[in-house]
Amino acid sequence: MNKLLSSAYVAAYTSALALGLTVSSASANEWPTDDIRLVVPYGPGGTTDVLSRRVADLLQQELDTNVIVENRPGAGSTVGTGRLARGGRDAEHTILMASPGHTIGAAIYPDLTYDPIEDFVFLQNMVDIPNVMVVPADSPYEDVLEFVEAAKEENMTFSHSGVGSSIHMSGELFKTLTETNMTAVPFAGSGAALPALLGGDVDVAFENMPTVLSHIRSGDLRALAVTSAERSEYLPDVPTLAEIGEHNLDQFITTAWFGLIAHSSFPEEAQSTMQEALANVMEREEFLDFADQLGAEPGQVSGEAFKQFIVEDLERWEGVAQQAGISQ
Amino acid sequence: MENFSEVIAIFFSLDNFIAIAMGVVIGVVVGSIPGLTATMAVALALPFTFSMQPVAAILLLVGIYKGGMYGGSITAILIRTPGSPASACTLLDGYPMAQQGHAKKALKAALYSSVIADFISNIALIFFAAYLAKIALNFGAPEFFWLICFSLTIIISLASGSMIKGLMAALLGILLSLVGLDEVYGSQRFTFGNYNLMDSISFIPLLIGLFAIPEIIEFYRKKALPHIKAKASGAGLAFSELKRCMTTIVRGSLIGVIIGAIPGTGATAAAFISYSDARRRSPNKVNFGKGEVEGVAAAEAGNNGVAGATMIPLLSLGIPGDVITAIILGAFMVHGLTPGPIMFQENLSLIYALFMGIMFSSLVLLMVGNVAIKYFSLIADIPKSVLFPIVLMFCVYGAYAVNNDTFDVWLMLAFGVVGYIFNRAAIPAAPFLIGFILGPMFEDNLRRSLLIGHNDLSIFVRGPITWAFIALTVGSISLALYRFISARREARNAAAKSQEV
Repeated sequence: MNKLLSSAYVAAYTSALALGLTVSSASANEWPTDDIRLVVPYGPGGTTDVLSRRVADLLQQELDTNVIVENRPGAGSTVGTGRLARGGRDAEHTILMASPGHTIGAAIYPDLTYDPIEDFVFLQNMVDIPNVMVVPADSPYEDVLEFVEAAKEENMTFSHSGVGSSIHMSGELFKTLTETNMTAVPFAGSGAALPALLGGDVDVAFENMPTVLSHIRSGDLRALAVTSAERSEYLPDVPTLAEIGEHNLDQFITTAWFGLIAHSSFPEEAQSTMQEALANVMEREEFLDFADQLGAEPGQVSGEAFKQFIVEDLERWEGVAQQAGISQ
Repeated sequence: MENFSEVIAIFFSLDNFIAIAMGVVIGVVVGSIPGLTATMAVALALPFTFSMQPVAAILLLVGIYKGGMYGGSITAILIRTPGSPASACTLLDGYPMAQQGHAKKALKAALYSSVIADFISNIALIFFAAYLAKIALNFGAPEFFWLICFSLTIIISLASGSMIKGLMAALLGILLSLVGLDEVYGSQRFTFGNYNLMDSISFIPLLIGLFAIPEIIEFYRKKALPHIKAKASGAGLAFSELKRCMTTIVRGSLIGVIIGAIPGTGATAAAFISYSDARRRSPNKVNFGKGEVEGVAAAEAGNNGVAGATMIPLLSLGIPGDVITAIILGAFMVHGLTPGPIMFQENLSLIYALFMGIMFSSLVLLMVGNVAIKYFSLIADIPKSVLFPIVLMFCVYGAYAVNNDTFDVWLMLAFGVVGYIFNRAAIPAAPFLIGFILGPMFEDNLRRSLLIGHNDLSIFVRGPITWAFIALTVGSISLALYRFISARREARNAAAKSQEV
């Protein structure tokens, strides 16, 4: 039996070696020399996953190679991201769809095994989705100022989709900036959080735009403000929080961003090929239509500018996490 | 309806029929493979739907969902390995049936109760969506809290044999469910700094380990035993047996519908609640867990009852109740449709075409399921010395496939040892699982209610739904206590009598 095993082992080893040789001789050619893995650090079905699968589909056509989506969920997005940060053999052909979980995760888990900035290269910001400050339709508050004044008097509750989500952190940021009295009420995902808001069990939420857009349009929820720097084309009559001008809200500019990153060992040639392909993807009508359906704006930054954007995002959430006391 | 012809035109296209058929086939096959869940299959199929017509796209995904819900029961019955979490309950009676040579009967019972429950669930979706959606909106954290309390009381009936052992198992399940991040503060509990445990103990490796591995260990321990050479697949389900289970199936379906209409509970809980309810009411109570066909019917009716009903909050409110409906919501959005009240105004014909397709999918499930049973039941005839190594391979693969992580494989093997100890010590696994599933829901909704109510306890009695569930909970506990006490009294009387003689 042992003999049999060892001969099988040798056979496998030689064929692996032979395969390795073919790969290394092929690598003299242009990148990509292998299938590309697109890691989604969340489970299937969420915004990150749906977006990644759309991008993979289009990227595959641009690069003329397979782009395989792989879900590696866990602990915010830190499990999948940690795996990428370890690098290894596949790192040259692996990209990851990062989102605010990347920066918020780094802000609230101090003992991460990786550096959220230095261990990665930043390729392209694909889309930005603003959050919307929404109240139930029968809420007495017609605008942000009324809400803030009331929240200084009595304790308000805000729902969120889980500790460390951009929905949660936006609420904490609002609470910190306006120095109001607010209690976070956690739910397992936006799907579970919505009924509490629609039913009036909580006073306010800072939900992702796509989740609440139809409810705003049907009149079940009232949008008080959007969290992005500029007004959203989907809700042109709704002011930005920064516009309010009072209660330090001019500092409130956040969006849920989604963008592709890779391990720091990602070859330079690959970076430029990838950035070019992604730029092409973002110009395609299929992509723009898709972003439109998500209520998302196409991303603005790539490369160094994208990195700078993430550095600033990280600093902001570190500040909020510290003030709100959410840090393990 | 004036645009009836439009509905017909949208529905009667070859694409739709192919989509449903393919969806159900993919669902049954993927669902039956441990570790590959319907959720994954739906997510993987999503990109292919981008280029399809909206109705065909949604029907493909719905077909996979429904097929997967049934498919999970196949391996649960045949090799004691639940293909998906929702079928964990099915194996409690399904696997003993297969061992007694009634594999085919168990598979048929699972299929027919799945299809009937699916049908009832679809009817609920089509006719009572608006009404059930309203209930879902009134179902806040306090209402949820009492629903969970009530569900916990009915599982008392699952602690077969020793009550103490059952409670121990349930508490152990709750204890293990605490591992992971605290929902309110995000702090780590019992993770020992291991990031693999931060998202709590993965459910699928736990299930596979708990059920499949002990069987394999037991087989190799008793290897000297002769292999029983019999046609294990056996006979099908007699009509009289189906008729006997009918009330259970209908009741289980309704439990599934209610659980499915309320976002966030899920098919696994529905299966267990339906099962324990059936067991409590059944005249064959003692036979549950030992190969009772009614147990299989109850479990499958419960989890398939959820399938149509989860579409209720999705279509009428735009709220996805679980991960699969979240993906289906994504598919709607890709096609420029936003589920919710507005869709009922703007795309009514499309919704009705969708309803027709969903109804049709039940029929397809019946046909595909029957073919699947014909071939899958042959597995029961494979000698275990050949079958078990393959099962072990699937266990390892299934545990790995969930998160693509070897940690889960070790976890699965560890739970295999736990399951083996459970078996040897005659500790029932069902209460353990219920504790693991319902424990976190109990805790989260308790804390959520207190946060919403600013620590005012009156929130727990805030309306008719809470009152109703409090009454049910109290009633259920009283009934259990009464039965317990009268059983003891009878035992004592019997003992006294025998002494007199």
